[in-house]
Amino acid sequence: MSDQEIIEQLKQGSETAFRKLVESHQRLVVNTCFGLVHNREDAEDIAQDVFIEVYRSIQQFRADSKLSTWLYRIAVNRSLNHIRDNKKHKWFQSFEKDVEARNRQILQVESSPADHPGYEMENKQRAVILQEAINSLPENQKVAFTLNKYEELSYQEISEVMEMSVSSVESLLFRAKKNLQKKLYKCYKKKCM
Amino acid sequence: MKCKAVHSKLIFFLERELPEPEMKAVREHLAACPECALFAEEMRKTLSILETEKVSEVNPYFYTRVKAKLDRQSEIQPSGIRSLVLVRVLQPVAFSIILILGVYGGVKMGATGAKTGSAFTAEQEMVPYLNEMDVEPLETFLME
Ligand SMILES: [Zn+2]
Repeated sequence: MSDQEIIEQLKQGSETAFRKLVESHQRLVVNTCFGLVHNREDAEDIAQDVFIEVYRSIQQFRADSKLSTWLYRIAVNRSLNHIRDNKKHKWFQSFEKDVEARNRQILQVESSPADHPGYEMENKQRAVILQEAINSLPENQKVAFTLNKYEELSYQEISEVMEMSVSSVESLLFRAKKNLQKKLYKCYKKKCM
Repeated sequence: MKCKAVHSKLIFFLERELPEPEMKAVREHLAACPECALFAEEMRKTLSILETEKVSEVNPYFYTRVKAKLDRQSEIQPSGIRSLVLVRVLQPVAFSIILILGVYGGVKMGATGAKTGSAFTAEQEMVPYLNEMDVEPLETFLME
Protein backbone atom coordinates (compact mmCIF):
# COMPACT_ATOMS: atom_id res chain seq x y z
CA MET A 1 0.00 0.00 0.00
CA SER A 2 1.46 3.37 -0.96
CA ASP A 3 1.23 6.44 1.29
CA GLN A 4 -1.37 7.81 -1.09
CA GLU A 5 -3.55 4.72 -0.78
CA ILE A 6 -3.16 4.63 2.97
CA ILE A 7 -4.35 8.25 3.20
CA GLU A 8 -7.30 7.67 0.87
CA GLN A 9 -8.47 4.68 2.89
CA LEU A 10 -7.80 6.42 6.18
CA LYS A 11 -10.03 9.27 5.06
CA GLN A 12 -12.75 6.67 4.64
CA GLY A 13 -12.16 5.52 8.21
CA SER A 14 -10.30 2.27 7.51
CA GLU A 15 -8.68 0.84 10.60
CA THR A 16 -6.40 -1.39 8.54
CA ALA A 17 -5.04 1.69 6.82
CA PHE A 18 -4.38 3.31 10.19
CA ARG A 19 -2.52 0.24 11.35
CA LYS A 20 -0.44 0.24 8.16
CA LEU A 21 0.34 3.92 8.61
CA VAL A 22 1.47 3.45 12.21
CA GLU A 23 3.55 0.37 11.47
CA SER A 24 5.29 1.85 8.47
CA HIS A 25 6.09 5.20 10.10
CA GLN A 26 6.51 4.26 13.75
CA ARG A 27 10.29 4.29 13.66
CA LEU A 28 10.43 7.67 11.92
CA VAL A 29 8.17 9.31 14.48
CA VAL A 30 9.67 7.70 17.59
CA ASN A 31 13.21 8.49 16.45
CA THR A 32 12.38 12.13 15.79
CA CYS A 33 10.73 12.53 19.17
CA PHE A 34 13.61 10.76 20.88
CA GLY A 35 16.15 13.02 19.18
CA LEU A 36 14.40 15.97 20.79
CA VAL A 37 13.32 14.70 24.20
CA HIS A 38 16.07 12.09 24.81
CA ASN A 39 13.88 9.75 26.79
CA ARG A 40 12.62 6.51 25.32
CA GLU A 41 9.33 6.36 27.24
CA ASP A 42 8.45 9.99 26.66
CA ALA A 43 9.32 9.65 22.98
CA GLU A 44 6.94 6.71 22.54
CA ASP A 45 4.24 8.49 24.46
CA ILE A 46 4.53 11.58 22.27
CA ALA A 47 4.71 9.39 19.16
CA GLN A 48 1.39 7.77 20.12
CA ASP A 49 -0.20 11.21 20.33
CA VAL A 50 1.30 12.11 16.95
CA PHE A 51 -0.52 9.21 15.31
CA ILE A 52 -3.73 10.00 17.14
CA GLU A 53 -3.52 13.56 15.85
CA VAL A 54 -2.97 12.21 12.34
CA TYR A 55 -6.00 9.96 12.69
CA ARG A 56 -8.20 12.81 13.87
CA SER A 57 -7.06 15.39 11.36
CA ILE A 58 -6.59 13.22 8.28
CA GLN A 59 -9.41 15.07 6.49
CA GLN A 60 -7.30 18.24 6.53
CA PHE A 61 -4.31 16.54 4.96
CA ARG A 62 -3.64 17.94 1.51
CA ALA A 63 -2.98 15.37 -1.18
CA ASP A 64 -0.12 17.38 -2.67
CA SER A 65 2.09 17.29 0.43
CA LYS A 66 4.26 14.44 1.60
CA LEU A 67 3.01 12.27 4.43
CA SER A 68 6.45 12.04 6.03
CA THR A 69 6.84 15.84 6.02
CA TRP A 70 3.53 16.14 7.82
CA LEU A 71 4.50 13.46 10.36
CA TYR A 72 7.84 15.12 11.05
CA ARG A 73 6.13 18.45 11.58
CA ILE A 74 3.62 17.07 14.09
CA ALA A 75 6.33 15.06 15.86
CA VAL A 76 8.56 18.14 16.15
CA ASN A 77 5.77 20.38 17.43
CA ARG A 78 4.60 17.89 20.02
CA SER A 79 8.13 17.20 21.22
CA LEU A 80 8.89 20.91 21.55
CA ASN A 81 5.70 21.39 23.55
CA HIS A 82 6.73 18.54 25.79
CA ILE A 83 10.14 20.13 26.34
CA ARG A 84 8.56 23.53 27.08
CA ASP A 85 6.19 21.98 29.61
CA ASN A 86 9.06 20.29 31.40
CA LYS A 87 11.45 23.20 31.29
CA LYS A 88 9.52 25.60 33.50
CA HIS A 89 11.56 24.88 36.60
CA LYS A 90 14.99 24.88 35.01
CA TRP A 91 15.48 28.52 34.11
CA PHE A 92 18.57 29.07 36.20
CA GLN A 93 20.37 25.82 35.60
CA SER A 94 23.47 26.02 33.45
CA PHE A 95 24.58 23.40 30.99
CA GLU A 96 27.56 22.24 33.07
CA LYS A 97 25.45 22.05 36.23
CA ASP A 98 22.94 19.85 34.41
CA VAL A 99 25.64 17.53 33.15
CA GLU A 100 27.26 17.29 36.57
CA ALA A 101 23.98 16.58 38.29
CA ARG A 102 22.95 13.90 35.84
CA ASN A 103 26.34 12.23 35.81
CA ARG A 104 26.32 12.14 39.58
CA GLN A 105 22.98 10.35 39.32
CA ILE A 106 24.43 7.81 36.91
CA LEU A 107 27.31 7.12 39.28
CA GLN A 108 24.87 6.60 42.14
CA VAL A 109 22.52 4.36 40.19
CA GLU A 110 25.35 2.17 38.96
CA SER A 111 25.93 0.85 42.46
CA SER A 112 29.06 -1.18 41.88
CA PRO A 113 31.28 -0.35 38.94
CA ALA A 114 32.29 -4.01 38.80
CA ASP A 115 28.85 -4.88 37.39
CA HIS A 116 29.49 -2.90 34.27
CA PRO A 117 32.44 -2.67 32.02
CA GLY A 118 34.00 0.78 32.21
CA TYR A 119 33.23 1.75 28.66
CA GLU A 120 29.52 1.30 29.18
CA MET A 121 29.52 3.83 31.99
CA GLU A 122 31.69 6.14 29.93
CA ASN A 123 29.22 5.94 27.07
CA LYS A 124 26.34 6.73 29.39
CA GLN A 125 28.16 9.81 30.60
CA ARG A 126 28.97 10.82 27.06
CA ALA A 127 25.33 10.40 26.12
CA VAL A 128 24.38 12.75 28.96
CA ILE A 129 26.88 15.38 27.83
CA LEU A 130 25.65 15.16 24.26
CA GLN A 131 21.97 15.30 25.26
CA GLU A 132 22.49 18.28 27.52
CA ALA A 133 24.52 20.03 24.84
CA ILE A 134 21.73 19.44 22.30
CA ASN A 135 19.09 20.47 24.85
CA SER A 136 20.85 23.76 25.40
CA LEU A 137 20.57 24.74 21.73
CA PRO A 138 17.95 27.27 20.63
CA GLU A 139 14.81 25.48 19.42
CA ASN A 140 15.30 25.98 15.67
CA GLN A 141 18.89 24.76 15.78
CA LYS A 142 17.87 21.79 17.88
CA VAL A 143 15.18 20.77 15.41
CA ALA A 144 17.43 21.14 12.36
CA PHE A 145 20.24 19.22 14.05
CA THR A 146 17.96 16.41 15.21
CA LEU A 147 16.34 15.95 11.81
CA ASN A 148 19.76 15.95 10.20
CA LYS A 149 21.47 13.62 12.68
CA TYR A 150 18.79 11.27 13.95
CA GLU A 151 16.75 11.08 10.78
CA GLU A 152 19.50 11.83 8.27
CA LEU A 153 17.28 14.22 6.39
CA SER A 154 18.81 16.30 3.62
CA TYR A 155 18.87 20.09 3.87
CA GLN A 156 16.08 20.16 1.29
CA GLU A 157 13.88 17.81 3.35
CA ILE A 158 14.56 19.75 6.54
CA SER A 159 13.63 22.97 4.77
CA GLU A 160 10.26 21.43 3.85
CA VAL A 161 9.55 20.23 7.38
CA MET A 162 10.58 23.54 8.95
CA GLU A 163 9.04 25.65 6.20
CA MET A 164 12.14 27.72 5.53
CA SER A 165 14.73 28.12 2.80
CA VAL A 166 17.58 25.68 2.31
CA SER A 167 20.11 28.40 3.07
CA SER A 168 18.39 29.11 6.40
CA VAL A 169 18.68 25.41 7.25
CA GLU A 170 22.37 25.49 6.34
CA SER A 171 22.93 28.43 8.61
CA LEU A 172 20.94 26.81 11.45
CA LEU A 173 23.05 23.65 11.22
CA PHE A 174 26.26 25.65 11.07
CA ARG A 175 25.33 27.55 14.23
CA ALA A 176 24.09 24.38 15.94
CA LYS A 177 27.45 22.69 15.39
CA LYS A 178 29.37 25.77 16.50
CA ASN A 179 27.35 25.85 19.71
CA LEU A 180 27.77 22.15 20.35
CA GLN A 181 31.50 22.47 19.82
CA LYS A 182 31.59 25.28 22.36
CA LYS A 183 29.66 23.24 24.94
CA LEU A 184 31.77 20.15 24.41
CA TYR A 185 34.94 22.18 24.76
CA LYS A 186 33.68 23.72 27.99
CA CYS A 187 32.89 20.26 29.28
CA TYR A 188 36.28 18.98 28.23
CA LYS A 189 38.09 21.85 29.97
CA LYS A 190 36.05 21.57 33.16
CA LYS A 191 36.29 17.80 33.08
CA CYS A 192 32.57 17.35 33.57
CA MET A 193 32.94 13.64 32.98
CA MET B 1 47.21 26.61 12.03
CA LYS B 2 46.96 27.68 15.67
CA CYS B 3 45.26 25.69 18.44
CA LYS B 4 42.44 28.20 18.71
CA ALA B 5 41.70 28.04 15.00
CA VAL B 6 41.66 24.24 15.21
CA HIS B 7 39.20 24.31 18.11
CA SER B 8 36.80 26.43 16.11
CA LYS B 9 36.89 24.05 13.14
CA LEU B 10 37.12 20.70 14.86
CA ILE B 11 33.46 19.71 14.62
CA PHE B 12 33.40 20.52 10.92
CA PHE B 13 36.63 18.58 10.50
CA LEU B 14 35.07 15.55 12.20
CA GLU B 15 32.00 15.91 9.99
CA ARG B 16 34.27 16.17 6.96
CA GLU B 17 32.69 19.44 5.96
CA LEU B 18 35.80 21.59 5.52
CA PRO B 19 37.35 22.34 2.15
CA GLU B 20 40.26 20.00 1.47
CA PRO B 21 43.13 22.47 2.22
CA GLU B 22 41.63 23.13 5.67
CA MET B 23 41.03 19.45 6.28
CA LYS B 24 44.70 18.90 5.58
CA ALA B 25 45.81 21.76 7.84
CA VAL B 26 43.75 20.45 10.77
CA ARG B 27 44.98 16.91 10.20
CA GLU B 28 48.56 18.10 10.29
CA HIS B 29 48.01 20.14 13.43
CA LEU B 30 46.41 17.20 15.23
CA ALA B 31 49.33 14.99 14.33
CA ALA B 32 51.72 17.48 15.92
CA CYS B 33 49.66 18.76 18.89
CA PRO B 34 48.74 16.15 21.53
CA GLU B 35 46.56 18.65 23.41
CA CYS B 36 44.26 19.27 20.42
CA ALA B 37 44.43 15.61 19.40
CA LEU B 38 43.08 14.63 22.82
CA PHE B 39 40.16 17.03 22.58
CA ALA B 40 39.46 15.92 19.01
CA GLU B 41 39.34 12.29 20.11
CA GLU B 42 37.07 13.21 23.01
CA MET B 43 34.68 15.07 20.74
CA ARG B 44 34.69 12.28 18.16
CA LYS B 45 33.72 9.75 20.83
CA THR B 46 30.94 11.96 22.18
CA LEU B 47 29.48 12.70 18.75
CA SER B 48 29.60 9.02 17.83
CA ILE B 49 27.00 8.43 20.57
CA LEU B 50 24.47 9.86 18.13
CA GLU B 51 24.78 6.72 16.02
CA THR B 52 24.20 4.37 18.94
CA GLU B 53 21.16 6.31 20.14
CA LYS B 54 19.04 5.81 17.06
CA VAL B 55 16.12 3.50 17.54
CA SER B 56 16.75 0.38 15.53
CA GLU B 57 14.22 -2.01 16.97
CA VAL B 58 10.56 -1.07 17.03
CA ASN B 59 8.28 -1.68 19.98
CA PRO B 60 5.95 -4.53 18.93
CA TYR B 61 3.16 -3.22 21.16
CA PHE B 62 3.25 0.25 19.74
CA TYR B 63 0.19 0.02 17.50
CA THR B 64 -1.87 -1.70 20.21
CA ARG B 65 -1.05 1.16 22.56
CA VAL B 66 -1.92 3.83 20.03
CA LYS B 67 -5.21 2.09 19.33
CA ALA B 68 -6.02 1.70 23.02
CA LYS B 69 -5.27 5.37 23.67
CA LEU B 70 -7.39 6.40 20.70
CA ASP B 71 -10.32 4.26 21.86
CA ARG B 72 -9.99 5.57 25.38
CA GLN B 73 -10.10 9.15 24.14
CA SER B 74 -13.10 8.49 21.89
CA GLU B 75 -14.91 6.98 24.85
CA ILE B 76 -14.25 10.00 27.00
CA GLN B 77 -15.52 12.43 24.42
CA PRO B 78 -19.18 11.33 24.09
CA SER B 79 -19.55 11.03 27.87
CA GLY B 80 -17.99 14.47 28.10
CA ILE B 81 -20.70 15.75 25.81
CA ARG B 82 -23.28 13.91 27.84
CA SER B 83 -22.20 15.53 31.09
CA LEU B 84 -22.22 18.88 29.32
CA VAL B 85 -25.83 18.19 28.30
CA LEU B 86 -26.60 17.33 31.90
CA VAL B 87 -25.16 20.57 33.20
CA ARG B 88 -26.41 22.89 30.46
CA VAL B 89 -29.91 21.51 29.91
CA LEU B 90 -30.99 19.21 32.69
CA GLN B 91 -29.79 21.43 35.53
CA PRO B 92 -31.98 24.42 34.55
CA VAL B 93 -34.85 22.04 33.92
CA ALA B 94 -34.39 20.53 37.37
CA PHE B 95 -34.26 23.97 38.97
CA SER B 96 -37.38 25.02 37.14
CA ILE B 97 -39.23 21.94 38.38
CA ILE B 98 -38.11 22.60 41.96
CA LEU B 99 -39.15 26.22 41.63
CA ILE B 100 -42.58 25.30 40.24
CA LEU B 101 -43.04 22.67 42.94
CA GLY B 102 -41.92 25.19 45.54
CA VAL B 103 -44.39 27.77 44.33
CA TYR B 104 -47.05 25.14 44.04
CA GLY B 105 -46.22 23.84 47.55
CA GLY B 106 -46.27 27.38 48.91
CA VAL B 107 -49.66 27.99 47.40
CA LYS B 108 -50.87 24.67 48.80
CA MET B 109 -49.40 25.43 52.25
CA GLY B 110 -51.01 28.81 52.30
CA ALA B 111 -54.31 27.23 51.37
CA THR B 112 -54.28 24.37 53.87
CA GLY B 113 -52.77 25.15 57.27
CA ALA B 114 -53.06 21.55 58.47
CA LYS B 115 -50.43 20.25 56.05
CA THR B 116 -47.82 22.93 56.93
CA GLY B 117 -46.64 21.15 60.06
CA SER B 118 -45.70 17.93 58.43
CA ALA B 119 -43.90 19.77 55.63
CA PHE B 120 -41.77 21.64 58.19
CA THR B 121 -40.80 18.58 60.21
CA ALA B 122 -39.77 16.80 57.06
CA GLU B 123 -37.48 19.70 56.24
CA GLN B 124 -36.00 19.87 59.75
CA GLU B 125 -35.18 16.20 59.61
CA MET B 126 -33.44 16.64 56.30
CA VAL B 127 -31.21 19.57 57.22
CA PRO B 128 -29.05 17.95 59.95
CA TYR B 129 -28.57 14.92 57.78
CA LEU B 130 -27.26 17.00 54.91
CA ASN B 131 -24.97 18.90 57.29
CA GLU B 132 -23.48 15.68 58.54
CA MET B 133 -22.68 14.68 55.00
CA ASP B 134 -20.83 17.93 54.53
CA VAL B 135 -18.64 17.81 57.59
CA GLU B 136 -17.83 14.12 57.46
CA PRO B 137 -14.08 13.88 56.87
CA LEU B 138 -13.00 12.19 53.70
CA GLU B 139 -10.82 9.69 55.58
CA THR B 140 -13.69 8.18 57.50
CA PHE B 141 -15.67 8.00 54.32
CA LEU B 142 -12.85 6.16 52.63
CA MET B 143 -12.27 3.86 55.59
CA GLU B 144 -15.75 2.48 55.20
ZN1 LIG C 1 46.78 22.45 19.22
